[in-house]
Amino acid sequence: MADICTLEHATLKVPYENLNKNFRNCQKVIDREVAHVMQVTNDLEKCLDGKEPTVGVVVTLLDSVVDKLTVLKRKAAEAIALEEESAQACKKRLAHLKEHDTTTGSALSQWKKKRIDRMLVEYFLRAGYYETAVKLARHSQIEELTNIDLFLVSKEVEESLIRRETAPCLQWCHNNKTKLRRIKSTLEVNLRTQEFIELIRCEFRVEAVRHARKYFGSLDGEQIKKIMVLLAFPSNPNISEYKELFDDLRWQKLVGQFREENYKLFQFNTTPVLTLTLEAGLAAMKTPQCYTEHSKNADCPACSKNLNELAKSLPFAHCAQSRLVCSLSGHVMNEHNPPMMLPNGYVYGEKSLLNFAADNHGRIICPKTKKVYSMDELEKVFIM
Amino acid sequence: MEACMNVEREADKVLGKFHGVWNHAERTFDEMIENLASRQEELSKSPCDDQFNLFHNHLLLSSIKRVREITTRLSNEHKDIHSSVSKVGKSIDKNFVSELIDLNQDPTYGNEDRMKLLNTVVFEHFLRQGMLDIAENLSQEANLDVPESAKEPFVEINRILAALKERNLEPALQWALNHRDQLRAQNSSLEFKLHRLRFIELVRLGPEKQYEALFYARNFSQFAGAHEKELQVLMGSFLYIRQGLEVSPYARLLDPINWLDICDVFTQDACALLGLSIESPLTVGVSAGAIALPALQKIKQVMQQRQCHVMWTAKDELPIEVELEPSQRYHSIFACPILRQQASENNPPMRLACGHAISRDSLNKLINGSKIKCPYCPVESSPNDAKQLHL
Repeated sequence: MADICTLEHATLKVPYENLNKNFRNCQKVIDREVAHVMQVTNDLEKCLDGKEPTVGVVVTLLDSVVDKLTVLKRKAAEAIALEEESAQACKKRLAHLKEHDTTTGSALSQWKKKRIDRMLVEYFLRAGYYETAVKLARHSQIEELTNIDLFLVSKEVEESLIRRETAPCLQWCHNNKTKLRRIKSTLEVNLRTQEFIELIRCEFRVEAVRHARKYFGSLDGEQIKKIMVLLAFPSNPNISEYKELFDDLRWQKLVGQFREENYKLFQFNTTPVLTLTLEAGLAAMKTPQCYTEHSKNADCPACSKNLNELAKSLPFAHCAQSRLVCSLSGHVMNEHNPPMMLPNGYVYGEKSLLNFAADNHGRIICPKTKKVYSMDELEKVFIM
Repeated sequence: MEACMNVEREADKVLGKFHGVWNHAERTFDEMIENLASRQEELSKSPCDDQFNLFHNHLLLSSIKRVREITTRLSNEHKDIHSSVSKVGKSIDKNFVSELIDLNQDPTYGNEDRMKLLNTVVFEHFLRQGMLDIAENLSQEANLDVPESAKEPFVEINRILAALKERNLEPALQWALNHRDQLRAQNSSLEFKLHRLRFIELVRLGPEKQYEALFYARNFSQFAGAHEKELQVLMGSFLYIRQGLEVSPYARLLDPINWLDICDVFTQDACALLGLSIESPLTVGVSAGAIALPALQKIKQVMQQRQCHVMWTAKDELPIEVELEPSQRYHSIFACPILRQQASENNPPMRLACGHAISRDSLNKLINGSKIKCPYCPVESSPNDAKQLHL
C-alpha cells in the first residue's frame, strides 16, 4: 500500500486537474447562457411593462426566451456530461489502483508489470519519445491510465517553439492564466521578450517599440533597460552582453521553461517516477560485491552491466544485521538452511551442498576454487 | 487502500452532486420550456396586432420570474459543487506523496550519458519480453546505436520460447545441440530434458509409436552417466505402453507442469549461457524500488521534522535498512555483531574455532594474551585457529 501512496500522485492528480478544468469551463458556459436568458427575459419584461404591447411583439420575444432556455439546457447538459466524464476518469484510475490490494499471485504480477509499463510511458513522454510512449501504452492497454493526452498537447507547443512560433505557447499561457499567475510564472513575459528580439533581428524597429509598449508593463526597470537598449544596436551586436540576447539557445531555454512550468501546474516531480523508483531500488540492492569482478551475481540488477554503471553515483544499501544468501542456490541461509563452511573458508547453504553431494557420489567441489572435499569436512558457522 | 478509498469517497460525492443538480435542473427546464411554448402557441392564435390583455400579462410576468429563478438556481447550485471538486484534489494531495526524493545527487534524467544507459536497459527489457517493434521504436527516438547482433540472442530466445509454449520442441533441441559444449560446461540438463519430453510424447501416443519411441531412446545413451535414475524411470514406462501411461505408476510423466518447467529451464540456461539474469533487471530494480522508495520517503520526513539533513547527504550508505523481499537479495552481507559494521575487504568475517563468526577487527580487539574468548559462548580458543570466511 505504501508504494501506491508514494508513487501514484500524478496518476490521480492529472485527471483531477482535468476535472477541475472541466468544472470551471462548465460554470463559465452556464453563467454565459444564463446571462443570455436574463437578457431576453429583461427584454420581454420591458415590453410587458411598456404601454399597450401587441401580441405579435410578445410572441417573438417569448419565442427568443424559449430559444435561449433551450440553448442553455443543451449546453449545460453537454458541459456537465463532460465534467462527469472526467470524474469517471478519476474513478477508473482509482479502481485500477485499488486492484493492487485485492489481487494476489499472477494477477498481482500482471498489475506490477502494468505499473512498470505506466512508468515507462511517463518516462518516454517526458524524454520526448512520444511515438514509443503511444505504442507501448496501446500494446499494454494502459492508455486510460497514463497521461498521454496531456503530453501530446505539450508536444505541440514544444515543437512550435522549436519552429520559433510563439502563438501556441501564448495560447497555452492564456488557457492556464490563473494558475500561472499563482506560481508567478515568467513564461509569458519571456515569450514576449523573445518576440521583441525577433522583431529587432528583422529590423522592424517601430513595431518593436509598439510591441514593447503593449507587453512590457510587468517587467522591472533593470530588465526593461537591458532589452530596450537593443533598439540602439545593430541587430548583430558584438558586445557579449547583448550577443546573448540574439542567441538561438534562448528558444531552447523557452522550451525548457515551458516544460518545467507545465510540470509545476500538475505538481509533477521534476524527475520521472521511473528513474526515482529504479534508483531507490538499485541503492537498496547495491553492495560492495556488485563492484568486485569475482563476486558479481548475474541475477542481481545492480551487477548487470548498464545498471551497474548507473548505480555508481548511488549510496550503498545499509545493513545492520547479517544476511546470507547461498551463492549456489540463491536461497537464503538461515536455521532451515544453515550456512556450512568448507575447509577453504567458503560458505554455502547446507541444502545445496547436500544436493551437490548426492549428485556427485558424496563429494563436494567448491565452485569457486574447484577444490574437492568430502561431506564430513564441513563445519557449521554461527552468524549472529 | 485507505488512501484510494478517501479519494474515491470525495469523487463519488462530486458525481452524486452532478447528478443531483442536473437531474433537478433538467426536469424544471423541460417543464418551463413546455409551459412557455404552449403559452406562446396559445397567444399566436390571436391576431398579431391585438392588444395584449392584462390577465396574460400577469401570467407571463410570473413565468419570467420563474425562468430567472430556475436559471440562477442552476448556476448557483453548480457553483456550490466547487468546494466538493476541490476536496478531491486536496484529498489526493493529503493521501498521496507529491514530492519524491532523488537519491542521486546527479539526477539521471537530463544527463545524456546516464539516460543512454537507462535507455539501453529499457531497450533490452523490451527485447526480453519480445516487444521487438517497441524496442526498435525506442532505439530510433532515443538515438541508441544498438548493433544488430545485440538483438539476435533475444529474438532467438523468444522464438524458441514461443515454440515451447506450443509444445514444439524442435527449435529448442536445435539450439541445445548448437550450444552443447557450453551447456555441458554449465552442468545443464536442458538437452536431456528436451529429449525426455519428446520421448514421453511418443510413449503417450501408445503402441503404434512404440518402435519409434524405442528408436528414439538411443538419444539417451549420452546422458546415461548423469541422469541414470531418470532414465530408468523413462525406460520403465515402456511396460505400460499398452494400457496407457495415465493409469500407470508413471502418470506423473504426463504432468503438464513438465512443459512449464521446460520453459523455465530453457530461460535459465539460455540466460546463464549469455551471461544474463533470468528476470529483467529493470523489473527487479523497479519492484525493489517500490519497496525502498516509500521507506526512504518516510525517513526523510522524520529527518526533516528533526531538522537533520546531514545524514541524507552521506553518499556512501542509505540511512536505513530497507526490507526487501528475500528473493531480491543477491549477495551475502556480513555485519559484525560486535562492531555493528558491514564487513569489508580489510575487515573480513572470521570464524572462531567454536563456529561463531565475528569481524577481524573485533577479533583483534578481543584477543587476551594468546587466547580469545568467544563473545557468544564459553569456549576459549587460539586466534590462530580463526578462519577467514568467504560468503
